[in-house]
Amino acid sequence: MASTLTNVGLSTPAAASLARPQRVTGAGRVVFPFRRSGFAAVVVRASGPSTPPDISEKMSESIDKAKEACAEDKASGECAAAWDEVEELSAAASHARDKLKENSDPLENYCKDNPETDECRTYDN
Amino acid sequence: MAISSLHATTSLHSPCTTNTSFRQNQVIFFTTRSNRRGSTRQGGARTFQVSCSVDKPVVIGLAADSGCGKSTFMRRLTSVFGGAAEPPKGGNPDSNTLISDTTTVICLDDYHSLDRTGRKEKGVTALDPRANDFDLMYEQVKAIKEGKAIEKPIYNHVTGLLDPPELIQPPKIFVIEGLHPMFDERVRDLLDFSIYLDISDEVKFAWKIQRDMAERGHSLESIKASIEARKPDFDAFIDPQKQYADAVIEVLPTQLIPDDNEGKVLRVKLIMKEGVKYFNPVYLFDEGSSITWVPCGRKLTCSYPGIKFAYSPDTYFGHEVSVLEMDGQFDRLDELIYVESHLSNLSTKFYGEVTQQMLKHSDFPGSNNGTGLFQTIIGLKIRDLYEQIVAERAGAPTEAAKV
Repeated sequence: MASTLTNVGLSTPAAASLARPQRVTGAGRVVFPFRRSGFAAVVVRASGPSTPPDISEKMSESIDKAKEACAEDKASGECAAAWDEVEELSAAASHARDKLKENSDPLENYCKDNPETDECRTYDN
Repeated sequence: MAISSLHATTSLHSPCTTNTSFRQNQVIFFTTRSNRRGSTRQGGARTFQVSCSVDKPVVIGLAADSGCGKSTFMRRLTSVFGGAAEPPKGGNPDSNTLISDTTTVICLDDYHSLDRTGRKEKGVTALDPRANDFDLMYEQVKAIKEGKAIEKPIYNHVTGLLDPPELIQPPKIFVIEGLHPMFDERVRDLLDFSIYLDISDEVKFAWKIQRDMAERGHSLESIKASIEARKPDFDAFIDPQKQYADAVIEVLPTQLIPDDNEGKVLRVKLIMKEGVKYFNPVYLFDEGSSITWVPCGRKLTCSYPGIKFAYSPDTYFGHEVSVLEMDGQFDRLDELIYVESHLSNLSTKFYGEVTQQMLKHSDFPGSNNGTGLFQTIIGLKIRDLYEQIVAERAGAPTEAAKV
């Protein structure tokens, strides 16, 4: 991919690509007030590939188990370990989604291994 | 602000020979793969490797909690070094390692001594030192630093099991990222440079909501419960490591919007330790002064809520530090270029390199705010550090051979 700035005029639309695309839609917007600080977050449900079903299933199971493990004693090691598993699987799910997104463009994939072919060349000027 | 001639990419330059000179040459012995836990194994099939790098890798540590942007940081870092980082070809598809021409990044979760079931039985989290094998971590990082290959275990984040190990060759730059790179004193002493990503509770919560809310089974309650349940171990074992870091990137809610209730705009601080060899902190206008700077005005038009910078000397856990702070976000390219042109000691190779790197990865999270800016700057600083170390070794061969 051409990475020089030489073909990017300061006032061209390309400049706008710096700002991350906003995917805020009416349906995907959830406003959540933070209890402690009064701070809140806009939640944008990201479009794009969904989590592979095996990880997704494991994660939702682990959430149920964590709730169970914490029912008796919230300060127990078992409770912390159970929620830690949820965190680990949530991170794994997110990485798996990123991987799917990365691999979703067949041309990009082909060009990764064959950068010299005609269809993969990029020109700066 | 003409930016007429920017170069495409840069990569690290280092002595690169295939002769058999005493310094450049590495002979690595390793045997067949085995599951035996241990560090470098010797004997057996002999592989002769002429290394195209310095003889001893430069070792970098990156500490942060899960879900706090380590992967994004690593992608920016390896990009600054030149070349894309990929998982090892033909290996375990669940390997956590990333390899590029110059750099190998390993994930310290691979040194879990307890797998998921083991942790559950004992009631300990992955944050707990008891779930991690620091002896093996130390042995293997030390071996890599001495230029030896290692058979590193793989922790499989999907199954929660320890998979058979993978062979890791010493690269030019070896990055260890994870929860505990600075926890064990022996490992800490092996690091040539260390970074801690310090994400405030508010921002951590907002990021995890973004990451997890769409997942089946997750809710605001579950996200909150997970953060809270892990917090005691996080505070006890992860957070204290920041006192040892050469650079800390602190991510906080903005102060530009009174009672901000969106969590989208961030205030980011880059805390840089003074007196670290090969590391010269970035500064704004006048090194060592205290400065507040609002770049938006007559020359530069910014959109709401604007951008605010601050720079000042400070102390951090008893160390002299320089702190550079950015609140707000870039909405247009010229804002970023304007800011870059006013920062000094960036260790760029050409004018506009920071902007170029940010643009190249404009799809990464944080490319329009201080997280992306400071991660990119730290990447440039590490490249600079690496090149200084290489140059020094080349200038003093006998000394380098002893290290």
